[in-house]
Amino acid sequence: MTYTAQKTVRVGLEQGLHMVPCSLIVRTAERFSCEIQIQKEDRSADAKTMLDLLTLSAENGSVLVLEARGAEAGEAVKALARLFESNFDDPASGSQPATGSDR
Amino acid sequence: MQIKRGIAVSPGVVTGEVVVLGTEDFRIPQRFVSIDAVETELGRFRSTLDAVWEEIEENERLAREQLGDQFGAIFGAHLQMARDPKLIAEIESLISEKSLSPEYASSRVLRRFARDLQNLGNQYHAERAVDIFDLEKRILRHLLGERREELLHLRAPVIVLAHNLTPSETAGLDREFVMGFATEVGGHTSHTAILAGALEIPAVVGLGHFLSDVSGGEMVIIDGNHGEVILEPDDETLAKYRDLEERVHSVTERLASLKTLPAETIDGESITLLGNIEFPEEAEVCRERGAKGIGLYRTEFLYLERNQIPSEEDHYEAYRKVIAAAPDHPVTIRTLDVGADKVPETIGELAPDVVNPQLGLRSVRLSLHNIPLFKTQLRAILRAAVDGDVRVMFPLVSNLMELRQARMILGDVIDDLEEQQVPFRRDVQVGIMVEVPAAVMLAEEFAQEVDFFSIGTNDLIQYTLAVDRADPSVANLYRSGDPSILRLIRNVVSAAAKHDVAVTVCGQMSSDPVFISLLIGMGIRQFSSTPHAIPEIKEVIRNLTIESAEQIAAHALTLDLARDVENYLRGELHRICPDLVL
Repeated sequence: MTYTAQKTVRVGLEQGLHMVPCSLIVRTAERFSCEIQIQKEDRSADAKTMLDLLTLSAENGSVLVLEARGAEAGEAVKALARLFESNFDDPASGSQPATGSDR
Repeated sequence: MQIKRGIAVSPGVVTGEVVVLGTEDFRIPQRFVSIDAVETELGRFRSTLDAVWEEIEENERLAREQLGDQFGAIFGAHLQMARDPKLIAEIESLISEKSLSPEYASSRVLRRFARDLQNLGNQYHAERAVDIFDLEKRILRHLLGERREELLHLRAPVIVLAHNLTPSETAGLDREFVMGFATEVGGHTSHTAILAGALEIPAVVGLGHFLSDVSGGEMVIIDGNHGEVILEPDDETLAKYRDLEERVHSVTERLASLKTLPAETIDGESITLLGNIEFPEEAEVCRERGAKGIGLYRTEFLYLERNQIPSEEDHYEAYRKVIAAAPDHPVTIRTLDVGADKVPETIGELAPDVVNPQLGLRSVRLSLHNIPLFKTQLRAILRAAVDGDVRVMFPLVSNLMELRQARMILGDVIDDLEEQQVPFRRDVQVGIMVEVPAAVMLAEEFAQEVDFFSIGTNDLIQYTLAVDRADPSVANLYRSGDPSILRLIRNVVSAAAKHDVAVTVCGQMSSDPVFISLLIGMGIRQFSSTPHAIPEIKEVIRNLTIESAEQIAAHALTLDLARDVENYLRGELHRICPDLVL
């Protein structure tokens, strides 16, 4: 059975989704086996590939849809959404497990 | 026969067989590989990726430790880019399905991504293309780097021709087999050039595009005196140069006999000759050449050599080696002087968005910006000073505040060492490089706060004449004999004399016999030169009187063109020491 999870987030970064946040997304996404896509209007990017994410060109204020399919899809979307909600504020947080307890 | 003209950076003449090094940048040796080589090539690509990842991880770790998390995160992002599964899959499929070489496949895929980013029409993303080019370079460097290891397996004497040699490659040249080298790019005072001088092999740089005409194995002559490279010389030319080679050799032999004689003018004025070094091992060479100490120890090679930031012990050990090789003589250690043309991998990448590196965060500015890094070096200097007459010198000081801050940090280091009861010496002399015109303007003020000045002519010329010495289109404007430079030196000498501060001239000008009489005539009594120039300089000094030097200086100061000054001085040198003008 394929399980799908979805969540809408907004980019709150002055420079948009630039290199460092993209790399944090990849780091987080890589911890999950499910397929994760990030959509912006008609474009879609694989959350596990840095170059794809960069070409999304998500500027400050863009609305993105996070969508995961497969094992732990819900956890994956939650973990990624948390990055956006915290505005990727702590660069070190990307290397820590984000799959812990929900707030 | 083909004659190419470039910039002479290390004297001597040599004839031999050519080895061409693959160009580092974007000349990709082959586009296709044979079908049965695909597996090996895939393997080569994967091990390259491993090495690239490891290198970026190491950069990331260093950046986090030394500069903080936000710098480390930049490399974290680079690493994610280099690990991008889509990217790797695309490159691998080009190698396995289209039999493209890993070099060509990587370059093609990365450039396509870069173009995609540039086409997004957003400034930020367009700029990110640079990060992708950086990754391309890294991958190519590792792929092609394997080929460069050919240099390590030389069995017979050769002459190396390359698009470019990095300082570390130059330093690594096997002196037993590499008799000379020539490169397409580079300028007078690039570090590669300085190193060639230190290695004492003839070298010519800045030849422009010529490697496409050379396949390797041809006969070539490198004329490091005139900056010429002669490809496939005819018999007559070959005979002429073989003869010249002999003559250069005999002059060198004669000069070597000066070693034990004092550096004194005819009328008995003693001049102090010191050596410039990059590596501790060179201190020994300086002594062999008769230097009375080290006037400039360029410590940035500690950073360049190993591609990582050296520890206090690394510094300490290197300094002790130098002190041991210069017993009873002064050793002036210049703190980190990282500049645009000598940026070590790690440190250079830590300051990512440099607009103009020559005017940016470099030298003492970089040290004051990275106090832990600075303190590590100062601790090692003060500890090593227990064993000798060590002096510390700050580079690129452009205002009094920088000097005071640097001295304050030195004071903190003294307090720390005292508290920790580590043996050290507290009364080391402190000086500055005078290499920014602002420091010359304020020479009187600086003279009241330092023990010595060292005039760094290379940078002083560059900043005064506003010439980037590495840019071939303006390199001809970079002239040591420019009247403005002579006046600046005169001002420094007079400010120093007023406050009884010692002045040394280091840099290329003090290694060129042409300028020695002028500088002595202007009041300079200490030179710090590349070791191989010391015998020549001593020869000039021993054939000079102070009075004649003063006359030469007085006349040179009346001339208003660099060309006239240099021609006049060359003529005078010819009169004083005809042997030295070849």
